[in-house]
Amino acid sequence: MKLKETQSEGNILFVGIDLGTSRSSISASNGTRQWIESYVGWPKDFISLQVVGKPVLFGSEALKHRLSLDLCRPLEHGVIKEGIERNEEAVKEIIKYLIELAKPAAGQKIYAVVGVPADTLKVNKLAIRRAVSEFAHSLMVVSEPFAVAYGLSLLNNSLVIDIGAGTTDLCIMHGAIPSDEDQKTIVNAGDYIDEQLYSYLTEKYPNSKFNKNMVRQFKEKYSFVRDVPGDIHVEIPVDGKPVMHDIKNEVKRACESILPALVETTAEMIARFDPEFQIKIKNNIVLAGGGSLIRGLREYLQDALKEYGPCNVTNVQDPLFAGSDGAVKLAQDMPAKYWEPLQ
Amino acid sequence: MLPINSKRREIKVRESILRGVYENNLKIIGKQSAESPWRIPLFLKKMFLFLSVGLLTILGQGSYLNLTLFPETQMTASIMPQKNHPMPDENSISSSDYKEFFSGYSVPLSRMFGLGVKTIMIDAGHGGDDPGTIGKMGTKEKEITLDIAKKLKERLKKHGGYNIIMTREDDITIPLNKRVESAQASKADIFISIHLNYLPSKPINIIETYYFGPSSDVKTLKLAQQENAGSQYGLSDFKDMIEKMGKTLKLQESKELASLIQKNLFINSRKKNGNIHNFGIKRAPFVVLLGVDVPAVLAEVSCLSNRQEEIELNTKSHRENIARYIEAGILDYLNKGEANYETKRNTE
Repeated sequence: MKLKETQSEGNILFVGIDLGTSRSSISASNGTRQWIESYVGWPKDFISLQVVGKPVLFGSEALKHRLSLDLCRPLEHGVIKEGIERNEEAVKEIIKYLIELAKPAAGQKIYAVVGVPADTLKVNKLAIRRAVSEFAHSLMVVSEPFAVAYGLSLLNNSLVIDIGAGTTDLCIMHGAIPSDEDQKTIVNAGDYIDEQLYSYLTEKYPNSKFNKNMVRQFKEKYSFVRDVPGDIHVEIPVDGKPVMHDIKNEVKRACESILPALVETTAEMIARFDPEFQIKIKNNIVLAGGGSLIRGLREYLQDALKEYGPCNVTNVQDPLFAGSDGAVKLAQDMPAKYWEPLQ
Repeated sequence: MLPINSKRREIKVRESILRGVYENNLKIIGKQSAESPWRIPLFLKKMFLFLSVGLLTILGQGSYLNLTLFPETQMTASIMPQKNHPMPDENSISSSDYKEFFSGYSVPLSRMFGLGVKTIMIDAGHGGDDPGTIGKMGTKEKEITLDIAKKLKERLKKHGGYNIIMTREDDITIPLNKRVESAQASKADIFISIHLNYLPSKPINIIETYYFGPSSDVKTLKLAQQENAGSQYGLSDFKDMIEKMGKTLKLQESKELASLIQKNLFINSRKKNGNIHNFGIKRAPFVVLLGVDVPAVLAEVSCLSNRQEEIELNTKSHRENIARYIEAGILDYLNKGEANYETKRNTE
């Protein structure tokens, strides 16, 4: 702990970055917490440059101007798409922008811990490091669910389920750094729900005009499993006229489409452990990521797993920052001797 | 008592986790160290070296146990009969089930599946801004490797039927990853990288051939991901299966190729120069071998730190000879198990 104090006294800014498929956030040791949507857009030509007035746009601003931009969501499906240089560049831009948002003081050294989807960690370790190393003095990359677990001090006998946009990552913590065995990835997550919802709505309302972005907003606002009181109506234009549509059933179906795989994988992962630990783990299941905001999901999972004995599922307090908060905590706890060789 | 104990335990767990994160990240950089070794402090390099030596020994595939592939007596007594049967290579010292596994195949897996070799990629080490090692008299590795590579290409061309590609034909800088990319882009079936050794502290001349270490499985993972998109299974299931199959094939083939090249290089070089040492074949995580997912070897064909050898390397005939030995190794690999070729060889 003494080490930590001497570190803080030095002119170092610790940052924790959660590099997500859909949203990326940063938490810094100076107290800053910021997030953006993981979209990067470059103006298509000189005219669009004139219109948007910036060489590069991020997040919702980029989405708003998407017609005049080359839009890029670099971590689609949870990995940096290989061979497309723009994607690596986009990751760089996001990191650069996030670190700017953290407002480091002049001359302050930046020590960063970056949490990435588990698959990115397996596939694009070097690419991530390349992308970040320009903007940080020293850097460590960890998997997203691990960062969440560390932030919540769930170091032993716990299971973190991080339902992101591209992937759902499960990670069992048992008092050591999780190995590949302890982590599992399902490709059904937020984006998958969007696709399902889009196709259900197209089927039901063939004459209505809506796009993927609208569908994503519907999901983020209304998502639920099992049942919620009241109807869900949204306004969608038909032949240019705004018309109310009932989408409750479709939202339910789309959200529930990820459940079978989720329950199965969770049960399977727990079952691999010693029976004595299984009970402990089952009482320590934490849902994180944007998907944890789906209403009724926690209860559903808890009930579904009851079949395998009593269990307790909780949601993280702040899914948007759980990853970056954990990452910055990790950064601050990390002894100085470990930072130096990674500079 | 109890809360104190648990507190202490938690601190311990935390410490071990922090160390784990650090070590994992170090491993990531470990890959980079081939490109920029000066960025890593000496003690870490030592540690890495120590660990890898340990690993190689444990695997029984490292060649610290078989510095000479052939017993000295056999070598001098007769060389030709050696060629009749596959060399008594490291199989003989490896663990029993390993031996069983490989000796089960008298022909390479690729041939068993009817996969022919069409494209051979030759990689002349270094080039351009990167001279490689430089001999005491100023001989540059990049020039020697390029010349050997060119000669090898000409030789292989004569056999017809193979498409021979080089990573560089001129003195230009090509980063390692570009070499890997071009190997993948040109759909090379085997990949041979030519280098020279440099042992500053020892006046000896050695020959050694590397084949790739455990691969980074980007490709298998991607494939698994595609296949998996509609299924409900975890990604790792697919990954494991594909990885196992692909790795066995590549590992076996690379090893075969490496041992045949090494054998030809060493036996023939030794005829000229009795003081040459056989350092055998080794597994190593060279970046250039790592990314290529076909049989890939890196041959250290000679030793530029040896004065006599440096003089030799500057003669055209010596470079031609080295190219010929590599060619012989490749041909042995390509034609292994074919009756015609074997008899022709034996009567030579």
